[in-house]
Amino acid sequence: MAPKRGREQLARQNVAVVQTLAPDVIAKRTRRHLDELERSNYAEPTLLAGVGDEDEEGGAKYAKGRGRQLISEKRNLNIAGNSPAARKKKSTMNVRTALLYRKNLATLIEESGIASLPSSVPTYLTASTIPSAYPPRMICTVCGYWGRYKCRRCAMSYCDMNCESVHAETRCERRVV
Amino acid sequence: MPPTVVLDNGAATLKAGLVGAASPTLITNAVVRSKGDRQTYCGHEIARCRDYAALHFRLPFEKGLLVDWDAQKAVWDGVFSDEVLAVDTTQATLLVTEPYFNLPNIQDTYDQLVFEEYEFAAYFRCTPASMIPHGDLFALPGQPPAQCTLVVDAGFSFTHVVPLLDGQIVWTAVKRLDVGGKLLTNQLKELVSFRQWNMMDETHIMNDVKERCCFVSLDYNADLEACRVDLAHNPIVQEYILPDLSAQRGGRVRAPGEPPIDGAQILHMGSERFAVPELLFRPDDIGLDQAGLPATIAHAISCLPADIQGMFWANIGLIGGCAKFAGFRARLQAELQSLAPHGTAVRLTECAEPITAAYRAAHAFAADAPRLARVAVTRAEYAEGGSGAVRRRFDAPRGSEAERMLLQEAPAAAQPPPTGRAKGRQPAGREDERTPAPGGRGPRVRSAKAGAVGAAGTGSTGGGRKR
Repeated sequence: MAPKRGREQLARQNVAVVQTLAPDVIAKRTRRHLDELERSNYAEPTLLAGVGDEDEEGGAKYAKGRGRQLISEKRNLNIAGNSPAARKKKSTMNVRTALLYRKNLATLIEESGIASLPSSVPTYLTASTIPSAYPPRMICTVCGYWGRYKCRRCAMSYCDMNCESVHAETRCERRVV
Repeated sequence: MPPTVVLDNGAATLKAGLVGAASPTLITNAVVRSKGDRQTYCGHEIARCRDYAALHFRLPFEKGLLVDWDAQKAVWDGVFSDEVLAVDTTQATLLVTEPYFNLPNIQDTYDQLVFEEYEFAAYFRCTPASMIPHGDLFALPGQPPAQCTLVVDAGFSFTHVVPLLDGQIVWTAVKRLDVGGKLLTNQLKELVSFRQWNMMDETHIMNDVKERCCFVSLDYNADLEACRVDLAHNPIVQEYILPDLSAQRGGRVRAPGEPPIDGAQILHMGSERFAVPELLFRPDDIGLDQAGLPATIAHAISCLPADIQGMFWANIGLIGGCAKFAGFRARLQAELQSLAPHGTAVRLTECAEPITAAYRAAHAFAADAPRLARVAVTRAEYAEGGSGAVRRRFDAPRGSEAERMLLQEAPAAAQPPPTGRAKGRQPAGREDERTPAPGGRGPRVRSAKAGAVGAAGTGSTGGGRKR
């Protein structure tokens, strides 16, 4: 009798495991979380992926025409001397381009061409440190204690049944609303 | 005597001052819009802000690099105006710091802003760590300045580990940990917002909470168990009373014996107090697949020549805002000791004010006007040669033959220093004369690609540049 029960138990466990998230979905979720941690201002998560954290309306407002206004021109500061900044006269072409046409970081990195340098040259892209040598510690996402168990549906960790119920009601990604 | 402006252009705060003022003015490097006041504040004007709930920040720096020049110019205008420094920029010399691994096109924009907009007479652009040897972080009384130092710059955007050999950065060994003050504040906001009050908009307040309540634990396991103890006997749990804007009361930590204050909103800081700075040591707690700071330091040192590694282990300096966490140094010392090879002495140096350490070192560098004049670029040179000329003056191309020769000759230089130190302290201002001393160094600095700080002064490029 024992071997037959063993086979049935194995079959049941297989069915339970299949419902969890695929590793690449988990990786994408972690990536999105890390990107959110780099934002300057909080934006409510929308349904669209790839919402940038630069605010298009903050500061460089689009006027009716094509000219954008710079916040640096709105100040009433008194700077000594007679540099263009002090006299508020027209700046040079280079400076005006730099101020008006704000490029985002990805564009700047691309334009700098550091990606095409030989690998012996250290650059901003290659300067990151080595990956971790240890497996990650599981921390309960609800209370911060050691997360000994993982949610079956969304693979986030929790420590006990209270945290599990909180997680299932609020943050589980596969929750039934 | 033309004034010299020293500007440590950080991602969180600018440290600005004139040579002669030993302590800088700290200015938040952001343009802040306050929804309550319905006003926009640039840089130093933030002190006038009355309602600092739900502030909208516009930071010139993104991921450690200066991308938003409009905002940065707005802040710089305020700094150079008569409200802060009151300097006539056309007569002054500027020493400004740039991020590590700054992009060449961004460096060109620095030159354009400095020379074409503010029209400084001369300027010098460098990284914060390259200034540290000129300061007093590693200075020991009665001994010459250390030759091999490792600077850990725990800043707002990232934490960099920067080895310096003879005052020059060894770029192939510079490593970056993508955890900085910004990530820690955002992580704290998330934890608190999920568990207690929604503080996702309150960057300014949560920054204050982080600075007051957070510490680095020496034993994560023990501290985690300790904060599960009930509230009355808990050594770790603190309560932070949120600021009350109508009563004009700032936020503060509640002292242990205080009676409860009604009407105040309280944040209970339990494991968040040490779980947040823990990310510097274990970034994989949130899924960032990078080694922690101790392992990064060990890796950076392993990229250096084997026979001088011991000297780097003994001269590790901590600067930057994140180095201010209580327990940071002790925890780093303990973990580094276990990673260093057996028998190596691990010595960490820190200073009382890590945030202004780079400023004070740069100030010491700039105070010696002839030395600064040797390395700075004047407006005339920029007008002639453009950004290319500036680049050739400022830093040696990374990964070039100059650096390879530097690393190869380092073992040869390692023997003279022990006897050299016994002869007494060498004056710091003569380092350009010191470099030819270990024999084989002379020809190197006279190569066509010279431009390294300090060492090029006596080279062939120096002869034609008398102004």
